[in-house]
Amino acid sequence: MDVLIQLVLNGILLGSMYAIISVGLTLIFGIVRVVNFAHGEFLMVGMYAAYLLAAKFGLHPYAAAVPIVILLFAIGAAVQRFLIQPLLGAEEHIQIFATVGLSTALVNLALLVFGADLYSIPPSAAQGTVMVGGFSLVKGQLVMFVCALALVAGLHLFMQSTALGRAIRATAQNRTAALLMGVKVDQIYVIAFGIGAACVGLASALVMPLYPVTPTIGTYFVLTAFVVVVLGGMRSMYGAFFGAMIIGLVDSLSGYYIAPDLKEVVYFAIFLAILIFKPTGLFGLGRGTE
Amino acid sequence: MKMFARAALAAAMLAAVPLAVAQPAAAQGTVKFGALYPFSGTLALLGDESFRGFELAVEERNAAGGLNGQKIEFIKGDAVDPNQAVGEARRLTSVDKVSAIFGTYSSSLSLAATQVTELANVPYFELGAISDPITERGFKYVFRTNATARDFANRMVDSIIEAIAPALNAKPGDLKIGIIHEDSLYGQTVSGYQKSRAKEKGLNVVEVLPYSAKSVDLTPVILRLKSAGADVVLQTSYQNDTVLFFRQMKDQGYKPKAVMGAGGGYSTRDTMQAVGAENMEGALDVDFTQYNTNPKAAPGITEFAAKYKAKYGIEPRSGHSLANYMGAKVFFDAIASAKSTDADKVRAAVLAVDIPVGQTATGWGAKFSEQGQNTRAVPFLMQWQGGNLVTVFPVDAAVAKMKTGIGAN
Repeated sequence: MDVLIQLVLNGILLGSMYAIISVGLTLIFGIVRVVNFAHGEFLMVGMYAAYLLAAKFGLHPYAAAVPIVILLFAIGAAVQRFLIQPLLGAEEHIQIFATVGLSTALVNLALLVFGADLYSIPPSAAQGTVMVGGFSLVKGQLVMFVCALALVAGLHLFMQSTALGRAIRATAQNRTAALLMGVKVDQIYVIAFGIGAACVGLASALVMPLYPVTPTIGTYFVLTAFVVVVLGGMRSMYGAFFGAMIIGLVDSLSGYYIAPDLKEVVYFAIFLAILIFKPTGLFGLGRGTE
Repeated sequence: MKMFARAALAAAMLAAVPLAVAQPAAAQGTVKFGALYPFSGTLALLGDESFRGFELAVEERNAAGGLNGQKIEFIKGDAVDPNQAVGEARRLTSVDKVSAIFGTYSSSLSLAATQVTELANVPYFELGAISDPITERGFKYVFRTNATARDFANRMVDSIIEAIAPALNAKPGDLKIGIIHEDSLYGQTVSGYQKSRAKEKGLNVVEVLPYSAKSVDLTPVILRLKSAGADVVLQTSYQNDTVLFFRQMKDQGYKPKAVMGAGGGYSTRDTMQAVGAENMEGALDVDFTQYNTNPKAAPGITEFAAKYKAKYGIEPRSGHSLANYMGAKVFFDAIASAKSTDADKVRAAVLAVDIPVGQTATGWGAKFSEQGQNTRAVPFLMQWQGGNLVTVFPVDAAVAKMKTGIGAN
């Protein structure tokens, strides 16, 4: 019983990490309608930035979150403006090739600059644990849990109650209608891609104290993030949040009760089942929401 | 850039020599070898480290007059992946017409390149790749000085019986053993040998848990080990999963009596720094000989480290350079005694090599089986103590006493 509770707690905390990484991917997919295969590499870039800020300026990653979020916003916006936008008229798979290419380029750039070695920041309090009723919880993961909730709530407020948020929602719902209503759709796309990348920038600052960074670190997280996004119904931020929690729990429980090397099998089986039986995702809005 | 300039200069000299002083040079003679390592790409760091050992052995030999009066000259081949290893092996054997190839650090590269050299009847000297099948395919001209995956696994299991159980005052059969490993070829191979060795020795293995090296959470693995009450954990892993395992082991308050790694992620300073010296304290590791080894059991190890530092300006980055240096020296001696680079004469000379354990810079001996495998390569047991990886077993190679437990208490 104790083990079960510990596993559930770990699953929820793990889920909040998946959530904070997946929210940006969902936003980009839901609004810009681009499957961003370079999402994991954005995380990697953010983590190297966090490492450099810690190593050169002694900045704790949590404090470094602000410059990293701004940096990632700029990178995301630039990618949309200079890579995706020229391809908007082209077929969808061309955009996918573009992001896959970007991902490969970023991994190799990191290899060139940093080499294949792993870098980590000096141990900090985030690595410690707190004991709650006999169960150990990692502080850094608790911070992630709170930040994930705050991020989703913050984005909700932003989308619902600001003019820009409304314009973004309008663009996501119907690009042509939004254009007719005077929304500068191209600009909205640039901003939305930037926000999506900024979210993963926040994630990288939170992940850095717990995981060392290597050029391929993105691939550790991104496959799970895609599963989360599909599970959550592709474009729903709230869906992604709950999808991430489910994956976190499945990951934790099946790793213990079935086998650690089969946990991917379990959640990809769930992934396939959802694609077959409920293609719009658990929290999807149903077909025809274009 | 500097490297490129040097290579370009060497190439220019190679092109110029035959034109200018062709006859005298040919009369004096040089012997050409290929140096096949991953010099770029993800394997480049340890590939280059391996090459440095070979390079130092060549320089030392040339300074002492070369091979039977002939200077050794080597041509580099950059093997980034198995395809390129094949391409570069072809180039070295057919275009550059080298007399032998030395390499390779990575097993998949070695397995690919040796297919080419065997068909071309060119001897291939493997100095660092550990996959057993490299010398199990019945090839005539493939020889290997270093220990294999099976040697690693056997040493790990035997260490439980010979070193850990006595230190704990326990009977080996009473200790509960957990085997965990990443689930690619490397982990599968080593853990497979561990399982069969443990069974053969009558040890009590309570858990065997494979996991993906790309896992971001090993808590389930740790809780399984904890529930099973594993006293000794054997892990075969890369860097990231080693770091994750140690961090999460601490998070979950799991304290086995001993944790032992199969080289890989356990040997690098980066791993220790990411985990923290105090958390890595006591972690055991079976690997190629490292530098904190008693020089009485490994004569020449101190001199090698000094030469390395003089040439490259830093301390050796891992034991790979030492293993390559030792292997290259053994094979140079064999070729010298063959008095020829003819493949069959070289084979006869290699099979005649007979160096007892404890007389080379790695502490290994050298005696080759019909398959070309060195049967006297024994990996040592090392331990992280105070942020340094020190040899603790066998006793004559040890520089410190082994302790039990994990993490500074």
